[in-house]
Parts: sequence; structure tokens; C-alpha cells
Amino acid sequence: MIIRLAFRNIIGSGWRSLINVLILALVLIGLIWAEGMWFSWLNLAKTQQKQWEYAAGILRARSFDPLDTFSWEKGYAAIPEQAQKYIEAGSLIPVLFSPAVIYPGGRMQSAVVKGIPASQQILRIPSQGLNGQEEYLVPAIIGKAMARNTKLQVGDTFTARLKNSDDAYDALELQVAQIMNCPVPSLDIGTVWIDLDSLRKIKQLPEVATIMVMQSPGLARLANQDFRHIDEKEFFSDLNQMVKTKAAGQMMPFSMLIFLAMLAIFDTQALAIFKRRKEIGMLSALGMTKGQIIILFTTEGVLYMLFAALAALPLGFPLFYYFFAHGLALPPGYDSFGIAGFDEPLKFHYSIPLTLATVLFLVVLTAVVSWLPARRIARLKPTEALRGR
Amino acid sequence: MSDYIASLHKISKAYATGHGDFYALKDIDLEFREREFTGIVGPSGSGKTTLLNIIGSLDLPTAGEAKVMGLLTSQLNARQAAALRSRHIGFIFQTYNLLPVYSVYENVEFPLLLLKMKPEERKKAVLAALEWVGLLDKQKSRPAQLSGGQCQRVAIARAMVKKPVLVLADEPTANLDTENSLHILQTMQNLNTNLGTSFIFSTHDDKVIRFMKRIVRLIDGKVASDDYQAGV
Repeated sequence: MIIRLAFRNIIGSGWRSLINVLILALVLIGLIWAEGMWFSWLNLAKTQQKQWEYAAGILRARSFDPLDTFSWEKGYAAIPEQAQKYIEAGSLIPVLFSPAVIYPGGRMQSAVVKGIPASQQILRIPSQGLNGQEEYLVPAIIGKAMARNTKLQVGDTFTARLKNSDDAYDALELQVAQIMNCPVPSLDIGTVWIDLDSLRKIKQLPEVATIMVMQSPGLARLANQDFRHIDEKEFFSDLNQMVKTKAAGQMMPFSMLIFLAMLAIFDTQALAIFKRRKEIGMLSALGMTKGQIIILFTTEGVLYMLFAALAALPLGFPLFYYFFAHGLALPPGYDSFGIAGFDEPLKFHYSIPLTLATVLFLVVLTAVVSWLPARRIARLKPTEALRGR
Repeated sequence: MSDYIASLHKISKAYATGHGDFYALKDIDLEFREREFTGIVGPSGSGKTTLLNIIGSLDLPTAGEAKVMGLLTSQLNARQAAALRSRHIGFIFQTYNLLPVYSVYENVEFPLLLLKMKPEERKKAVLAALEWVGLLDKQKSRPAQLSGGQCQRVAIARAMVKKPVLVLADEPTANLDTENSLHILQTMQNLNTNLGTSFIFSTHDDKVIRFMKRIVRLIDGKVASDDYQAGV
């Protein structure tokens, strides 16, 4: 009964209802679009980080703290004996990190030299380009951002100075063999990739690694007193947090829109209670309780939102589909955000649970905003309402 | 339950104003029995509507006791008062107060929805009520498509559909022309006779007064006379 009356009242309000529904639908479309972007961005970033950096998991030397650069010099551990057969089979990749100073074009710059087996096939890093050392020149791969920062091109040579295991400085003469298009900034910016054996040789550190990348999750059992298993939750926690923070910032304009839409609903409801006092009095005379009348007005507000959700489907579909099919092309240099996933247009995917949660959130919010002015009905005397006072 | 469907004992209703209390009703003693067709008559401001509101449990007296269907209205909470109105009392207003977004049928059906009546019983009752007021052919119309007289007949059907013991009508013919007023009054008179429903009107319209079996005159919030008309 209440839903039917609320429905009829909304239909009967004509343009006023239509405008409210349209405003709410636009807000909803905007929210779904923004959520689609962040959801897709996060997914793409995770996918690419898995393909380029994480694979099925990482075993990290306990002496290596990614947040403490002073730990990097000694941030390695001896590879456990039982891991050797997996390394030989190619299902475990040892990677050694070494802080270094590089001199591209005679300028001095801090960097991390990372040694990776040239033959590895687990990660998308094009390590096969590290094969083919000519005399003293060690082939190196750098990312596009690194090439831009250092002004290095394929074929350029530069010196890298690093410490060996005796804390004595040594130097490598590197030649850029390839500039890779890597979507993961942490593998690109400030990073020089060389063959693992070359790095071990100069460091005088055979059979050690900073991390070991696993091809299958089962290899996590190789974790021991020297190597710790980094699970997905830990590995992606920074990324999740970063996306969450950025999403919150980006949601500000939408929060304003939500606020304005809710203000419109509040206004409509407050005005309706003022204009429809005779109706409230009549409903009371017919035997409706004040609670039922409050529910009636609150339901009208909620129905606005449900209509908006229905309207958002056809209205928003072209927009949602466009970004699903063509994606969002991000401007060059956007990788300075520090989040992976920008080497190609970001194609949107929409999470159904997230979308439903958004609609539910707005429905609850609309119910509260409709209920707030409707509470005044409880203070309205039926006799005065009947007189329109 | 007592013999009376409504009884008022020493009822007063005062409103606070800037110049002290204004008494809309003062020391009213009245009883209303079943099947009565009563007019509360008096000039504007004499307290007619206030009296109807108190009988209808829409308002409470500031002093005295009002009993409706044997219940002391001052002891009812808002929910109980709403239930009393919903089950036993029908209201007819001067300005009809129909729900504009509902059809005639739905307007008449509305009180039965509040009573949670079964759909088939509801349909039967609504059609019967529309037949009483001669609006069966208008059941799909909206109030905006009806004349004032037709709207008031819808309001009567809405008040009568649940077969209440008592119908309170506040100046029901004030917005109607003579022909429509007479038609409305005849309809209510028939319902009073055939269904035994008690009617209490507030009016200052002579046309209406002629139809009343009992006339209670109010002047300045007091009962000036309470008479039964012979030959009505």
C-alpha cells in the first residue's frame, strides 16, 4: 500500500520527479564510471606487476628491506641447496640487487643494478637481450623512463660503480642493449638490468640472491631462515593503499555531486511535507499512523534512487561501453604516479558487487536524507495539518 | 461499551493566545447514539470543527472526558487513536481531500488497505460503496476529472466503504451548489437509514439543517440548544 502510494506520488509529481531522478542517475553514472576506472586500474596494475615482477610469489632475503636503502648493499642471502634444482629447471629465478652509481654521459646518478638470468622465462623482462657480451662491455637493459631520465639510447655505453663483497669499489662498463617498455615503474625508474652472472662476478658473490621469483605458489615452501615468502597480500598492500588513497582524492568531485543530489532530495521532501500537509492530515484521519506516513515519505525518496538506478542503465551504457571497448588513454608521463598499468589505454571493467554496493549505499543515503525532513511529520498535529497549517 | 457511540462530558478546549486562553469549546455535555443523523450548527468560530475533531480522536480536549466507542480518547496513544479512526470512524471533509494520484476506485479502496482486508472482500466492498453513491461508471477516473459533487460522493464512498459506526462530516456541502448539496445529503440520509451509520455534520448551511434529525446549536463554544426535528 505504502509503496504503491509512494510510486503514484512520484509519477504524479511529473517534472520535479524527473529532474530528481536524472540528477541521481547522473551521480550514479559518474560513480560507477569512476569505480570502473579505479577497479580496472588496480586490476591491470596487479596483472602487470605479476607478469613483470611477482609471478607466483617471491622469496626475499631477510637481510633486504625494500624501505631501507642502507640495507641493500648487504641485502642478499645464500641460495638454499634445495632451491638449486628449481633454478636449474627454470621455475625459480634468482635476482641480485646492488646499489650503484652510474655515469651516463659523464653525469653521476644513483641507481640499482639488478642481475637476472638471461635465460629466465617467467617474468616479462626481456632478459634474453642480456646475452652476447662483447669483451669488456656488459649488455644492459633499461626502461623507457630510465632512458628518458639518463638520455641513454640503445648502443650507448656508461660506467657503473659498485661495491664488491669486500666493500671495495669496482666498476662495470655497460652498454644499453635494449630499452624496454615496462609498465611497472619500480622496475624501470633508477634501475639497470644486467645478466646475473656478470653481477655476481663483479660483486664476488656466487650463489646468492636478493629475491627469488617463483613460477608456482608451491615453491613458497623453500622459505627458510634466510629467505622469507612474500605473499600477494603483502606484496600488493602498497599498491592497494596507493589506489585507495588516489581513489579517495578523485572521489571528491563525486562527493560534491552526491551532496548536491542529496540536497535536492532533502529539499524536495521538505517542500513536499510543507505542501502536502492537508494530505498528511487526511491520511491521519483515515487511520494511518504517523510512523506509516513517515515511511511513506521516506519510501518516496528511496524510490527516486531506485528509479535513478534504472535510468542509469540505459543512460550510462554508451559511456560504460566506450571505456570498456576503447579504454582511457592516459597522457605520457602519467607513470610518475608510481602505479603500474599505463603502457596502454586502460580498458574499464565494472565490478558487479561494487556497483551494487554503490547503489545500495546511495539508496541508504537517500533513505536517511528523506527520513530527516519526514521526521517533522511526527510533530505535526492532524487537526492543523488538515487545515493546511 | 455504553449505549452511546460517543459521549462528551464537561468538554472544554482552550488555545493559548497572546491575550490569554481562547476557549473554542466550554463545558460541553453531549451524547450521540447509533443511527443518529445530527447536525452541529453554528456560525463560524463557534467550535463545530473542534468538536468533530475531538469526537474523531484527532484532537484532545483540554478538560473533560470524551468517550468514543466506549474508549476514553485521552487514554489512547497515537497508534490506538489511529486504529480507532481506521476501524470505526469515517471522515468527510469540506475540500474532499482525495488522493489526486489515485483513481476513484483506489481512493475508495484506501481505508480497506489500512485495515488489511483481503483483496476479494475489498473489491466487493469498494464496488458496493461506489454503487451507493452512484459512481460505478467513474471508478477509473481521477479526482481531477470529476465535478465537485462527484468528488464529494467519492469522499462519502471512502468514508462509508469500511461500514463505520460513525461518520463525521465537516461542512460537506460548503463547496457545492444546491443541486449537488441535496444529492449528497440524500445519499447520506439513505446510508443512515439503510446501513444504520450515525452521521454527525458540522454546518451552517440551512439546506443541510433541514435534513437533520437532531440539531445541536453551538454559540461561542457552548451548546445553545439540542433538539430533535419532527418529521425528518
